[in-house]
Amino acid sequence: MSDRRPLLAMQQVTQAYSLPRTALFSPPGSFTVLDSIDFDVCAGEAVGLVGESGAGKTTLTRILTGMERPQSGQVMFDGTDIWAAGPAARANFRRSVQMVLQNPRSSLDPRMRVGTALLEPMRSLRIEGDHVKRLHEVLDQVGLDSSALERFPHEFSGGQLQRIAIARALMPNPRVLVADEPVSALDVSIQAQVLNLLKDLVRDLNLGLVFIAHDLSVVAYTTSRVSVIAAGRIVEVGQPVELFTRPSAPQTKNLVDAVLTVESGLSGAAL
Amino acid sequence: MTAVSTSETPAKPKRRRRRNLTLTIGIVVTIAFVVMALASFFYLPHNPNVPRIPDRLLPAGAPGYLLGTDALGRDIFSQLMVGARTSLMVGAGGALISLIVGTIAGLSAAAFGRIADETISRGADIMLSIPGMVTALVLAATIGSGALTTILALSAFFTPSFTRVIRSAALSVLQEDFITAARLYARPTWFILLRHVLPNVAGVMIVQFTLYFAAGILTEAGLSYLGVGVTRPSISWGMMLNEAQQQVGISSPLAMWPGLAIVIVVLGLNLLGDGLRDVLDPKLARRT
Amino acid sequence: MTTAPAIEVKNLIVGYEDLNAVRGVSFSVPAGGRMGLVGESGSGKSMTALALMGLLPSGWQARGEVLHDGVNLVTQSDKALSSRRGKTISMVFQDPMSSLNPVRRVGDQIADVIHRHSDVSRREAMRQAIDLMVQMNLPRPEQLARSYPHQISGGQKQRIMIAMALACYPQLIIADEPTTALDVTVQKQVLRLLNAATRERNSALLMITHDLPVIAAMCDTVAVMYAGRIVEYGPVQEVFRNPRHHYTRGLLDSQPTMDNIALDGTSRLVSIPGMVPPLQRLPSGCAFHPRCPAATDKCRAEMPELAANGAACWHPVGATAAVEA
Repeated sequence: MSDRRPLLAMQQVTQAYSLPRTALFSPPGSFTVLDSIDFDVCAGEAVGLVGESGAGKTTLTRILTGMERPQSGQVMFDGTDIWAAGPAARANFRRSVQMVLQNPRSSLDPRMRVGTALLEPMRSLRIEGDHVKRLHEVLDQVGLDSSALERFPHEFSGGQLQRIAIARALMPNPRVLVADEPVSALDVSIQAQVLNLLKDLVRDLNLGLVFIAHDLSVVAYTTSRVSVIAAGRIVEVGQPVELFTRPSAPQTKNLVDAVLTVESGLSGAAL
Repeated sequence: MTAVSTSETPAKPKRRRRRNLTLTIGIVVTIAFVVMALASFFYLPHNPNVPRIPDRLLPAGAPGYLLGTDALGRDIFSQLMVGARTSLMVGAGGALISLIVGTIAGLSAAAFGRIADETISRGADIMLSIPGMVTALVLAATIGSGALTTILALSAFFTPSFTRVIRSAALSVLQEDFITAARLYARPTWFILLRHVLPNVAGVMIVQFTLYFAAGILTEAGLSYLGVGVTRPSISWGMMLNEAQQQVGISSPLAMWPGLAIVIVVLGLNLLGDGLRDVLDPKLARRT
Repeated sequence: MTTAPAIEVKNLIVGYEDLNAVRGVSFSVPAGGRMGLVGESGSGKSMTALALMGLLPSGWQARGEVLHDGVNLVTQSDKALSSRRGKTISMVFQDPMSSLNPVRRVGDQIADVIHRHSDVSRREAMRQAIDLMVQMNLPRPEQLARSYPHQISGGQKQRIMIAMALACYPQLIIADEPTTALDVTVQKQVLRLLNAATRERNSALLMITHDLPVIAAMCDTVAVMYAGRIVEYGPVQEVFRNPRHHYTRGLLDSQPTMDNIALDGTSRLVSIPGMVPPLQRLPSGCAFHPRCPAATDKCRAEMPELAANGAACWHPVGATAAVEA
């Protein structure tokens, strides 16, 4: 499936928000959040998106998942423009692109049992099939046992909750998973578990993974191709090791310089 | 080393115990009040509206009259029971109507965009700027005084505050990631409001309800005291206060009983509200 | 430089009702020394920091000894503690936004600290505040001093917080995750400043964080906390290069670095299985045993104390190489 035919792609996407007028008769200003963005992911491929806060990562995510419509440019899924396509193609897009959010504590409704929460996407997207069987399948994939279904979110640790959030995203059998800072709220020893899980899913399910983070080292570990975003533009794309060793854009260099490692700290070279 | 020994026994969590006590007192008082009000439908020691001149102004504990009688020989305890019925009906009715209207308005303001928000919020501001007593007096003058009028006045008075509280609670729930997740799998806004937001603001709603219930009882007493509330054969604690006022020189306990009833019930409901707030607040619950 | 430590903690226990978040912790930071306290959420590291400052949330109780300047801080009254806070001990918190007064100009807030703890005039305090801001590499300090917290960036706010913490040349600065809330590119600048400023003043630094690289860069000694106890304690170079406790080794192994990235995307991070146990259900014996690759029956039954090699472990890394292989 590595025929480099993008499964989900943004082509020349530009998004601007209007600002309130500063004076009564001045024309309303506008603020370009994303400027001619090209970004794509293939099946079975993990791609990364890194940038500082305010660089446009959140808006890009919202457009990529269809929550926001871009002012210009296309969002293509499986070869069709999702904003020009008919309802059937839109429904297919909705179930095929799922998302994992940053904070597992807030991404699950505290008053909803885990089992109910997992079934929510299926009910909402009106997906037919044996949901109970699917529940157990998905729990197995993320490494939880089925006793989780009857429990409430507060009974779980952060790492378990992130597994549940991933399970919910997997329920409709998506082809692309968009993960927005999925480990930054987790403890160090748990981060590695979740990162490994995401990598396994990409391999086993032939998923496309879009991994968004501010920490270059985490992204580099998880993905095989990284885009660096700064001030609404993609300033550099490349393999993680290349970016690390030979950053060409100054913004990439900044991010690389910001990475602290135990080794550099111990040798006194970090600060 | 004295330090180590003095602090060897960790202090008991005084705060939580106090919280539980608050809630317990609140529940006991509220239940007693509701039972008293409901019992008045089935049993009254005497007819509270029939004067018995020979028995006038009996002290508390007089045979057959638990709390004595008023200037016309009517049983005070029976009057308090019927008064409790009125307080329950008017207070709960006013709070319930404002709860329903305020929740719908508050959720709509929070979820349906800027125009809806501006319209509802400014509307609430305007309503809040009209004094509640004036609303009640105008309503009483136009459609006549009575329990129903009082309920309507209370609703008009409380709804805007309810709307604001529910709106801000809903706004904070709407920022949570699980709302984003629900939007991602294409749940419509009304569904998100019912399924995710409403259960998560229910705690706030319950607490606000008890607090406005208490405020409603107080306001109703005030209106009846001014003579624009309920009229006989209905009885209200405020009305009893008004009548007792004329006899204060002769018998002060007459004013004391309805006054005490109002204080106890309002205090009890407020304690209940405070206790529930602590129990239902997920932030406090998580810490323990 | 005196020989007395900046702070010495002996058998500190911090609890709420019958639950102890910190279960007997002892360490000391020498005058002008730099120690890191590292742990995950639930390890008790933040409660330790709050206990040192006398800032425990209501209902929480500290026991044991926290010796500073010849007194046991655990037994001090709130009033005595608060006169000490900012003067001989000061703290830098994770979230600079909630630690600054939103309705007071930042320059005034720094000057307040100086004015409160030393004998200088208001005007002199303000002059020293501007001086400090210059040292913190803040741009146009005079102008910035007149700004309110919401008008400046997160990195600038954290530098203001550090300036406030340093204002009175404290003997000890406690920094609780000082850069976690900041943007990655700003983190390093702030750490660099904190590092240089504490060294210049010879203030001791107690750095509390989950971030191992930060400790490696800033500290001389490190204490690794797990489930309310210190499981490994020693010089940073030794502990991080040659960890004795399996938990420390697991933490170091879970760090994504350039070394463990394979080009073909097949690399896997070593992860510690399981999760941090909740306080209510701590495992018997060594609290780490359910997640430990070298656990034996002895680990399940008996709680190990810190040994001469710096680790609280019955089967330290290295000694048990055969068992693991």
